[in-house]
Amino acid sequence: MDYKELFISAFQALRSNFMRTFLTMLGIIIGISSVILIFSIGQGAVAFVTNELSSFGTNFFQINPGSSALASLTGGAETITTQDVDAIRRNQSFTNIQEVGAFVTSTLTVSANEIDKTLLIYGMSPEISDMLKPNMVQGEFYSEESNLEAQRVVVIGAKAAETFFGKDANVIGEKIKIGNKTYRIVGVARSSSVLFGSFFDNAIFIPFNTARNEIPGGVHIREVDISVKNVNLINDTIAQVTAFLRDRHNLKEKDQNDFIVASATDAISTIQTITNMLTLVIVAISAISLVVGGVGVMNIMLVSVTERTKEIGLLKSIGALERDILLQFLIEAAVMSGLGGILGILVGIGGAFLVSILFGIPFIVNPVAILIAFGVSMMVGIIFGIYPARRAAKLSPIDALRYE
Amino acid sequence: MGSGEAYVAINGISLIIGEGQFVSIMGPSGSGKSTLMHILGALDTVTTGTYLLKGKNITSYTQDELAKIRNKDIGFVFQSFNLLPRTSVFKNVERPMIYAGIKPQERKERVMHALELVGIADKVNNLSNQLSGGQIQRVAIARALIMNPAIILADEPTGNLDSTTSHEIMTLLHDLHEKGSTVAVITHDEKIASFAHRKIQILDGKITKDEGTGF
Repeated sequence: MDYKELFISAFQALRSNFMRTFLTMLGIIIGISSVILIFSIGQGAVAFVTNELSSFGTNFFQINPGSSALASLTGGAETITTQDVDAIRRNQSFTNIQEVGAFVTSTLTVSANEIDKTLLIYGMSPEISDMLKPNMVQGEFYSEESNLEAQRVVVIGAKAAETFFGKDANVIGEKIKIGNKTYRIVGVARSSSVLFGSFFDNAIFIPFNTARNEIPGGVHIREVDISVKNVNLINDTIAQVTAFLRDRHNLKEKDQNDFIVASATDAISTIQTITNMLTLVIVAISAISLVVGGVGVMNIMLVSVTERTKEIGLLKSIGALERDILLQFLIEAAVMSGLGGILGILVGIGGAFLVSILFGIPFIVNPVAILIAFGVSMMVGIIFGIYPARRAAKLSPIDALRYE
Repeated sequence: MGSGEAYVAINGISLIIGEGQFVSIMGPSGSGKSTLMHILGALDTVTTGTYLLKGKNITSYTQDELAKIRNKDIGFVFQSFNLLPRTSVFKNVERPMIYAGIKPQERKERVMHALELVGIADKVNNLSNQLSGGQIQRVAIARALIMNPAIILADEPTGNLDSTTSHEIMTLLHDLHEKGSTVAVITHDEKIASFAHRKIQILDGKITKDEGTGF
């Protein structure tokens, strides 16, 4: 039997039951579109994060206290001291090191303009601003001199400034109270990164040494950031600094590091790995809905075979071979799920485009993913179509003709 | 039979239908005439005995081999559900030739010729659900003719028709016989049976009467 005729009759059969066909396809459409959508968003997210992190440059690495990522995140570990930072700064043998910055953090009540707010306070050495490269909306970042003299000056995040003083107010020289001490605002900063903006722009930055003197818990370093002159030698520098710190902390050879070192490149690749893994996991989960869609196809094909028993009997009486009947129903199932796949791809791409606009992440559509999605949708139709089609093909012509 | 154990529907029937005959097979329901038709139509095989079609013993053919026989040598006209639903007259008549692997151009010519023969060429593009009962039977007869079969088997072809239309359809079958086709009509209706030139009566699985030459 020629394939053109088979496809024509498959389309005819599907069209004559339009609503049912569409509802069955919906399962496939949802499955395929969610796979395409999530995959596209995932890839967009990876591209976004990579971009964000690269915007700070890749020529630095960070040291966090604690022997595990968890300890360093919760801030419980206190294994890196100011003395460590000073020792790294003073060590002349680290020829590749450009700058060493460090910060402490604390959450405190900040008051200004008769408004009280609990905000994140960074006690930050000025070198960090060279690495984070914030946009100064007003004024300037506090100087090295302010840090050395432990002056009570602050740089305030753009959103925090708005909270206290209103939009577009000139806040340079304004007074702000942290705890019970009064500070003078010298600058308003906005993060150059969308990703970090949400907390950076709501934070308050005071000089590192000021924090050490005046902020409770201000002596415990949360992070040390070290920039290098030659990024190609960054791993050597990391090794040198690691050995140096281990020596200072009197760690024996078998002891683990009591701090965590990661380069910006490491961080990027870690986040890429995590995001990719998450994407794959969610894609795998949404692929389950494809199986559900496939079961829907099988179900409706079984109904169709039963409904068309007499038709099958008629076709057999005029000479249809088992293979002809099998192919007819198989092609119907494949056309149904294939069309569902195409619609699903279109919906998925449309959705991904909307998400990319709404969330400002890059719009990435992977042609390979689309081909795979289409192939999978066809496969789903064929796999789940086989059983009903075989049932149709195996019907005895007499029983089929007699069926009422 | 379709399922379960075989039971004896017809027994000891010895029947030869010659080329070009117009035969009616008559009997009340349960007489075994449907079973006889299934065997004649290669829809079923005999449990004992043999069936020769055009001199070929097809008794032990497989389902697919029987399907090919039905395609080339048998033209069925059923009482009801003769046409594919929501499918054009053309596509319905064309279908056996698709299974036979005949080229589209030839299919088109033969469909038109067959439709002219049964007097319904003007309905070629109509859908099957847009036809009257008589028109449906004409299309079914056109389809039955299309492969030049050894025999046209009409199973109660007028069962759903009024008497005028029944007469037209039987006249059409009679005309086909005149032009050389072998036609067997299975019916329980004496009047329908009387169109045939050979009348076979079957009761309780046995032939009780066989009269006329068939020509």
